[in-house]
Amino acid sequence: MGRLILKGVSRKFNGFLAVSDVNLEIADGEFVCLLGPSGCGKTTILRLAAGLDAPTEGELFLDSKKIEGVNDECGFVFQEYVLFPWRTVKGNIEFGPEMKGIRKEEREQIALHYIDLVGLKGFENHYPHELSGGMKQRVGIARAYANSPKLLLMDEPFGALDAQTRNLMQGELLRIWQEEHISALFVTHSVDEAVYLADRVMVMSARPGMVKDIFEIDIPRPRVRTSPEANELRDAILKSLGTEIKRAASLK
Amino acid sequence: MKNDNKRNGLIINILSLIGFIIFWHVLVALAREQIFNIPFMRLKDVPTPIETWYALVGSMFTRTYGPGLTYGIINHIEASLVRVIQGSALAFIIGVPVGIGIGYSRLIHNILNPIIEIVRNMPPMAWIPLAIFILVSGGSIFIVFIGVVFPIIINTIYGVRSTDSRLIDAARMLGASQAQIVTKVIIPSAFPSIIAGLRIGFGVGWMAIVAAEMVIRSPVGLGYFIWNMGDLGRYAEMVAGMIVIGVIGYFMNISIVLLQKRVIKWVD
Ligand SMILES: Nc1ncnc2c1ncn2[C@@H]1O[C@H](COP(=O)(O)OP(=O)(O)OP(=O)(O)O)[C@@H](O)[C@H]1O
Ligand SMILES: [Mg+2]
Repeated sequence: MGRLILKGVSRKFNGFLAVSDVNLEIADGEFVCLLGPSGCGKTTILRLAAGLDAPTEGELFLDSKKIEGVNDECGFVFQEYVLFPWRTVKGNIEFGPEMKGIRKEEREQIALHYIDLVGLKGFENHYPHELSGGMKQRVGIARAYANSPKLLLMDEPFGALDAQTRNLMQGELLRIWQEEHISALFVTHSVDEAVYLADRVMVMSARPGMVKDIFEIDIPRPRVRTSPEANELRDAILKSLGTEIKRAASLK
Repeated sequence: MKNDNKRNGLIINILSLIGFIIFWHVLVALAREQIFNIPFMRLKDVPTPIETWYALVGSMFTRTYGPGLTYGIINHIEASLVRVIQGSALAFIIGVPVGIGIGYSRLIHNILNPIIEIVRNMPPMAWIPLAIFILVSGGSIFIVFIGVVFPIIINTIYGVRSTDSRLIDAARMLGASQAQIVTKVIIPSAFPSIIAGLRIGFGVGWMAIVAAEMVIRSPVGLGYFIWNMGDLGRYAEMVAGMIVIGVIGYFMNISIVLLQKRVIKWVD
């Protein structure tokens, strides 16, 4: 359940090679972070895995099923929340079950479970514009979870949050992830975040976007952000990423 | 601070209205005393504000009307409002689905757009002869319909097209079918724009109904009322009718703005 495989995946946009020959395998229940300079194709990879976009070459599989067309066994969490502004917190979280035709009482129960899980009790009937950034992102995560996905795709979900809220949300995300046991592909710009969250970190190079390095992180959770192992890994990843960012900058 | 500004604004509004009424009165009084006149205008025949007020009150509290004695402005208000509401309702029922279709489907757009682009550039008034000579009944409602339907169509198209594509992606990821994307994402997202279209349409419809009633000469309606009063030389009633038309138009607009605020709770 939730095994994602990318086999020689490339994506060209009008002749521009955005992603080139990416091979990646995410094991069931694994948490993988994707790091790389801006424009290296991280969002493109997520959209390909979601089936919102199709590769020009290569194939993607979820649980040995080829991904063709929108893959609604994935949950997508967007950087800018992308909540339905005309729906309340509860209405947003219920959206997936509602589309599946689940009965009202049942989907209400599902919604309340996830509202509780992401700590939004008391805000069920608030509209998105009445929420803070962190709360909106909790709704985004709960909405993805309420659809019982096998794989969670997250595109810099905490990018817009302040450092403190961000740390808090990382902890919450891990708690929910461990409780629900779903595989996750998580895009971030923060090495710190990747080292705190991931089982594996994939560093990408830009133009074309390719897999450059893969780092295994077998520090047991809960992790201490400042532990020597974490620091060591952070240095190694920063180094790998730093040369890429410099190269990407010089290409511009 | 903010409340003070609001109050000052209101005071200026009221003073400005009073100032206008005084200016109007003085102008007519001077003309009647033959002290001043505007060239090419029988300014002395213009009713004073007070005469207009009495005409309004006089025509307000009677419900009798008929040829030559077309009084009872309430009847006329009612008739015009009913026509505008009927015509607008019809325009809404037809305009919204058409707008959604055009906004959503390139094919429907290509089929309907050339027709709409020409027809919507014919002013509602240009349809009046057709309404008189060809339509058997409901001519004024038809004119209102023509006036209201295009703002609704255009705004609906705009609302549909400006639906955030990320919201559609989000819905697809949550398992929404194509039909569900239309009903659960595109329509709610276009809703504010649709209501805005209705608001613009109502304004156009109100203008259209007055013109239509003057020409079509249905024996009741505000357009008919002001024309007939002018014809009878009862200028005070005529001007009173004009003011009523303006005030009702204003309140129709206000009521849709209030409706917008009530129904669309999700924007701040
Ligand atoms: N629909 C598209 N049409 C044309 N080019 C595109 C499209 N989507 C992405 N690209 C290009 O592909 C490259 C990768 O884009 P992508 O959004 O995947 O980068 P990213 O790694 O997510 O960047 P960031 O970190 O800034 O979000 C960019 O150069 C971008 O301009
Ligand atoms: Mg991106």
